[in-house]
Amino acid sequence: MSFLSFFLNDFKFFLPEIFLATSILSLTLYCSLVAPSRDLGYPILVKSLNKLCLLVLFITFLLVSNESNCFQIAYQNTFIFDSLSTSSKQIILFFTFACLFVCERSILENKINNFEYLLLILCAVLGLMLLISSYDLISLYLCIELQSLCLYALAASKKDSSLSTEAGLKYFILGSFSSGLLLFGLSLIYGCTGSTSFGALFLLMSSVDNPSLNLILEVLTKALFFISLAFFFKVAAAPLHMWSPDVYEGSPLSSTVFFAVVPKIALFSVFLRFFTVMGSNFSSFTLGLFLFFSLFSAVVGSFGALKQKKLKRLLAYSSISHVGYMLLAMAACSFEGNQALFLYLIIYMVASITIWSCALSLDSINSKSRFKTIADFSKLSSLNPLLALTAMLSFFSLAGVPPLAGFLAKLYIFHAALCSSIVIASIFSILTSVVSSFYYIRLIKNVYFEPPRVLSSLGYSHLGVESLPVPVTKECSILLGLGFFSLILIFFYPTPLFLLSQKMALCLC
Amino acid sequence: MNLFKNTFLPAGQLPLTNIEYFPIFLLLLVSIGLAFIILGASYFFSVQKPDLEKNSVYECGFDPYEDSRNVFDIRFYIIAIIFVVFDLEAMFLFPWAISLPYAGSMGFWSMSDFLLELVVGYLYVWKVGALNWS
Repeated sequence: MSFLSFFLNDFKFFLPEIFLATSILSLTLYCSLVAPSRDLGYPILVKSLNKLCLLVLFITFLLVSNESNCFQIAYQNTFIFDSLSTSSKQIILFFTFACLFVCERSILENKINNFEYLLLILCAVLGLMLLISSYDLISLYLCIELQSLCLYALAASKKDSSLSTEAGLKYFILGSFSSGLLLFGLSLIYGCTGSTSFGALFLLMSSVDNPSLNLILEVLTKALFFISLAFFFKVAAAPLHMWSPDVYEGSPLSSTVFFAVVPKIALFSVFLRFFTVMGSNFSSFTLGLFLFFSLFSAVVGSFGALKQKKLKRLLAYSSISHVGYMLLAMAACSFEGNQALFLYLIIYMVASITIWSCALSLDSINSKSRFKTIADFSKLSSLNPLLALTAMLSFFSLAGVPPLAGFLAKLYIFHAALCSSIVIASIFSILTSVVSSFYYIRLIKNVYFEPPRVLSSLGYSHLGVESLPVPVTKECSILLGLGFFSLILIFFYPTPLFLLSQKMALCLC
Repeated sequence: MNLFKNTFLPAGQLPLTNIEYFPIFLLLLVSIGLAFIILGASYFFSVQKPDLEKNSVYECGFDPYEDSRNVFDIRFYIIAIIFVVFDLEAMFLFPWAISLPYAGSMGFWSMSDFLLELVVGYLYVWKVGALNWS
């Protein structure tokens, strides 16, 4: 069995990942040779490295797009390449590109001068890409570990801040606990079935209806319970959400943007694949579990955010409530549910990257006052009207107000849930979404109707102006504009996104 | 296993020596017995003159029972982490070396790739000065 002929096709499908890994290695070599060199005067490479990372992500995006519309299970059933995995990879690469694009100034201003920071983001992206493709329990676990180890380090990357270190440590300890749960569940599955491959598990599960196998089904139900717990932890669904507000707040803003926007879609798509593989034997069990976590997240996300004064914590709670709606779609366990889930994820990512770019431009040192709390938003409308308009639009979209994309996403979610006759839970979620729209609207009130705090009391009396303009970088403004128009456009012309999510959901049938 | 076969048991009953883990049980017995013999011999036959230095715990030059909120050089941790990484690599290399005839060129090149990435990591650690002890 010749080595080359055996794996030739697999290498072809693996090309984007191989490219990304090779470029991470070569960037590591380049940076570790150049950055500590005394002859070059210890150069700070972050700015140039950021450009290089953007280039690498762009080329990887092209390579992934090159192989769309294929179906291949490669590397001895360890990785799968279908349109779900390629589309999710494209989305992840696109949004990581956007994150790095807008975060450049924040990274420079926060003096995160280690080049490892950007390389860790690339490593996390590599882990996420492999995670989306994984078709085996072992590769699933290893890829989850790869990406979460990078995320722990990203959370702790501001070494001189005790908050950041605390966030990293908290994330690490709780994350490794959840990984332990995941591993326990996976080992139970392996113990019952003797296989770790999704394909073999699918065949096994579709043929298990013998009443003599009840014991095994019971053990598998326990295994699914543990695996779902780990999954809920990773996507921060209540009541396993405790880490997320602290980690969001403690980490440097650029890491928070990455945490908030990128990893969810990978986790959702791989676990959706996993639960689809495990099949209908456990549907009543998973329905109950998912509904419980969905409602709990919606309630905690909406009521927890009411008390929050800080923007980062508020957005963390808002992401918890959004995870609740996504889990509602997952509980529906139907084609429409999966499609609604992917649509919701994409629209949520668009809205949240817009909001986080607003936060990034408000956090800048150049705007003289760092916007940390909600009260700082007062009279943003007179300081920078366009920024205020974009912020308002994206908050309305997150709240789900009709002429915007967020409404469409919520509509499809509740439609899918009602199609699967999940009536009471849907009504309950709609009611909690009313509560959650309260704090979005309060933010908008702060932006437009609150009297601004007197600048002289803040120590700016020497400037002799009533208000300070909030400058927005070129990168942020490009992304804000894109987000602004796409949030409106998606509502009136959702067909491309609809087709994309349909293509992704079709892979799970 | 025929060596331990017990012929005196009535038929149909599983002899103790036929249990799969019986050699491990023997090993356990022998090692516990040996430990007792060695420790007991050194306890009974040696001349004991305890003093302060001899009674202190041997723990790499550190007193293990101190206040845990101590200033502790972070370089110990870095060296320990790097040690664990390279130790694990050696652990991978042994089974790989034994099974190389079966793994073929795929196995060979996979390990070469692994080692190459490890060398890049080593170079990084070296260049950023994590190995410097001064």
